[in-house]
Amino acid sequence: MASTSTCLEGTTKAMTLAHVNVPPAQTWNYLKIDQIALSVPVPTSAGTVPTRLPRLFSRIGAGVGTEAVSWVEATTGDSRYVEVPRGTVREEPIVLSCDADAGEVRDSGVMVRGGATATIVLVSHGSGDAEGDAPLSPTPAATSANLVRVYAEKGATVHLVEVVAMGDERQHLEGIGLVAEDGARVDARQYLLGGGRVAVGFEADLAGDAATLDLDSRYIVRHHEVLDVNHAVLQRGERTRCDIQTSGILADAGQKTMRETIDLRHGGHGSKGNERETVLVTGDDIVNRTLPVILCDEDDVAGNHGASIGSVSSEQMTYLADRGLSDAEAEALFARALFDDAVIHAPEQQSLSAALDRAANVVGDDMAHDLASGLGIEPASADDPKEE
Amino acid sequence: MASELLTISGLSAGTEDKPILHDIDLSVGAGETHVLMGPNGAGKSTLGHVIMGDPVYKVSSGTVTFDGQDVTDLAPDRRSLAGIFLSYQAPVEVPGVPLYSFLRTICQMRPELKTTARKFRQRVGQIMAELDMDESFLTRELNVGFSGGEKKKVEMLQLLLLRPKLAILDETDSGLDVDALSIVSKGIEAYRRDCDGALLMITHNTRILERLNVDRTHVMVRGHLVAEGPASMIDDIDRNGFGAYEDGLAASQGEKVEA
Repeated sequence: MASTSTCLEGTTKAMTLAHVNVPPAQTWNYLKIDQIALSVPVPTSAGTVPTRLPRLFSRIGAGVGTEAVSWVEATTGDSRYVEVPRGTVREEPIVLSCDADAGEVRDSGVMVRGGATATIVLVSHGSGDAEGDAPLSPTPAATSANLVRVYAEKGATVHLVEVVAMGDERQHLEGIGLVAEDGARVDARQYLLGGGRVAVGFEADLAGDAATLDLDSRYIVRHHEVLDVNHAVLQRGERTRCDIQTSGILADAGQKTMRETIDLRHGGHGSKGNERETVLVTGDDIVNRTLPVILCDEDDVAGNHGASIGSVSSEQMTYLADRGLSDAEAEALFARALFDDAVIHAPEQQSLSAALDRAANVVGDDMAHDLASGLGIEPASADDPKEE
Repeated sequence: MASELLTISGLSAGTEDKPILHDIDLSVGAGETHVLMGPNGAGKSTLGHVIMGDPVYKVSSGTVTFDGQDVTDLAPDRRSLAGIFLSYQAPVEVPGVPLYSFLRTICQMRPELKTTARKFRQRVGQIMAELDMDESFLTRELNVGFSGGEKKKVEMLQLLLLRPKLAILDETDSGLDVDALSIVSKGIEAYRRDCDGALLMITHNTRILERLNVDRTHVMVRGHLVAEGPASMIDDIDRNGFGAYEDGLAASQGEKVEA
């Protein structure tokens, strides 16, 4: 239950969202992995705020929890709704951005009608890197949020790219909810590139037969940043398939919590779920928490999970050494590669700029623009993409 | 004889619990092409990895001298920067690292190869064209999901970019179809032509040697270098196999040789 508590930064009243990113199956309390609490500004709207999106979207979970969703709906000034007509291929990406520097709170819904194809881009960006290495706790006033719920009808194809890139003075809440009907296919790439305190929920309901989800999630957590992620996939249809690959770098005194749940529900005959996390640890004071869970209420299904935590394999390090890289240089390559990959897969200018700006802060300006310059994918200076 | 580039003297090495190489002496002159042959399990690949400094193997005696410097105790990354290149028989997959980022990083570390991103991109494009590689490979993760032939081409791409003084090619021809073998052979030729580097070819397949002028041939059996001679030895091995060399080693070690 949310509770109003203190008064901060002049007139900004704060409240606590106590149960953000709660996984479908919880574990021992003392592990401190079941949720994250966020101190956020009290919404200016009073009483119950009706959702501004079509009613269908209120039934889509976004991984962050109902308390957080209600806060976003009550805080946001407006909602964005985009519909991709049946059987069409939308060439122009649907860009759903959130300016963290302005403390934006956005709520969006996307309906991808039967057989249609669309690319959806979430860009949550901001500056705000503190001077020095001292621990920093972003204030409630520095909170932004980007909530996006997507409904993919029968046979729809959704390409989703998400970039969260902001400085360590920012606190950000990001929620993605997906429903996939029969034969709908979703591929998602998540780049979590920075933020003082970032909570990311991702919930997919593979409700239809043969619906599929491929999620490739990458992150870097450094300095005293806190990243809290909740991936949850419900596999309800028959012969559904989900594949979650998560990889990241934990540096300095960064803290990361990763919950990954595959929920193979009754009736989902022939479904397969796979989750795997790889973490490269380069800091001495990091906190790394992982909660991989496979829930199963069906006989004829397959679920796998695995985690490789610690370092890159010795074979990989030897190969890189044979090409002239010391251990430290190989680790630097992995950091650079994370940003390069975000740049390569940015489908439009805002996500490209967000990735490059963050890369400039983390790996330096020269290295940040090296790949973009080499491959000729520098961001355009004019003609910014249309905001939905 | 060209000036000596690589000199291995009395080298014995192996894993923690198993000796593999025994008292190896081998020299490669600058710009020369040497071939190392031998039956499966002879220790040829191990020798390549020991020259490169692979920490899996421990040197129990002997020295490796490269370009006038004793590198026996040098880390692999330092040996690489000194000019030794080992092409892997089974190149390693490195998820999360785009090929471009990898190539750019390993080149920028070398002062003699440092250049602007645009010039580097141009150079990479030229070599990829020579190797009949699609440039879309640059944005794919290093070796992840690549076929055997594609991985070998990536090794050749690195060889031609890094321009090492010595390239050790560990069964670069294995698992390649005729077309891929032809392209990889062209890559090796280009290395010899453009970089004037020395080659130590570890191979079973003499076809990859057809386009090369081989200076010396070495035969390894059970971790021992048992023979060394001119290029004509390759034809002899092609016809007769390694039986005589295996019997010779057994006899020298006092083992009973079956008729």
